Amino acid sequence: MADVELDPVIHAQARLRVVATLASLGAHDRIAFPRLQKLLDMTAGNLSTHLRRLEEADYVLITKTHEGRTPATYVELTLAGRLAFRTYTQSLRALLGDAS
Amino acid sequence: MATDEPRDVTSRTDDAAPDLAEALAIIAAQRARAEDTRPSGTLLFGIWGVAWLVGYGALWLTARDGGRPSVLAVAIAIGGGVAAVAVTIVHTTHRTRGIAGASARQGLLYGLAWPIGFVAQTMIVAGLGQAGAANEVTALAANAIAALVVGLLYIAGGMMLDLTSMYVIGGWMALTGAAAALAGVPGSYLVMALAGGGGMLVGALVESVRARG
Repeated sequence: MADVELDPVIHAQARLRVVATLASLGAHDRIAFPRLQKLLDMTAGNLSTHLRRLEEADYVLITKTHEGRTPATYVELTLAGRLAFRTYTQSLRALLGDAS
Repeated sequence: MATDEPRDVTSRTDDAAPDLAEALAIIAAQRARAEDTRPSGTLLFGIWGVAWLVGYGALWLTARDGGRPSVLAVAIAIGGGVAAVAVTIVHTTHRTRGIAGASARQGLLYGLAWPIGFVAQTMIVAGLGQAGAANEVTALAANAIAALVVGLLYIAGGMMLDLTSMYVIGGWMALTGAAAALAGVPGSYLVMALAGGGGMLVGALVESVRARG
């Protein structure tokens, strides 16, 4: 298990769920914060905390915009985030393959 | 990490590293959950399959003796089409709400292609009528061109969404309309009902199996 290391930013329950969900969207798609929250069944505060951590790693891009007069926040996986997730799933499979 | 922030909403389990098998399960579960952001092929093929089967079925039942379809049959066919359009728009809008970016833009352009296609179809049929085409000719052209518009747009949708099933159904619909034109009135209505509506229902079935697999 020492040869392959899992990205600690992604390898945590909640952030893995966030990244896996964002990775399931189209490559150039972004999702509104409330919709993402609904897909994850997470509280707004909890989701924000994890998004901040992912943003610090440059894995997600958060865009604040206005729809009419209401402010809206959109979240998308960056190219770096998408690649990191791909590496993560490959490592995961490799480790599971080794284990069996 | 969060020891200096006792009020951090992140719970310990949230930050805990899942075991490997659990991690794979989490990825699979969220991928399935994200399917909610895409329209359901099963529902859309299903509703359109029923609309074609019932609508064209009604036209055939009242026109099979060689007469024209009854007003009631025409109303059922048009009503079914309008209902299917409404379901398609409501369902697609609901599923894709909150998603912006490339696929939203593509979806909008794709959605607009449908009224463009059908306005063109209506104008062509009207033009044939003005040029003195017999009722039978306009009826055959109307069906075949409508099926061609649907078929080619499904083919385009299949390419855009990388959905082979949608592409195959599109090809089937385009050829069904052409076969219906060759069959002549009133057999064309039966071809559209069974091959067209039936084809979409088979597509719905394939999609439901695929979605579960």
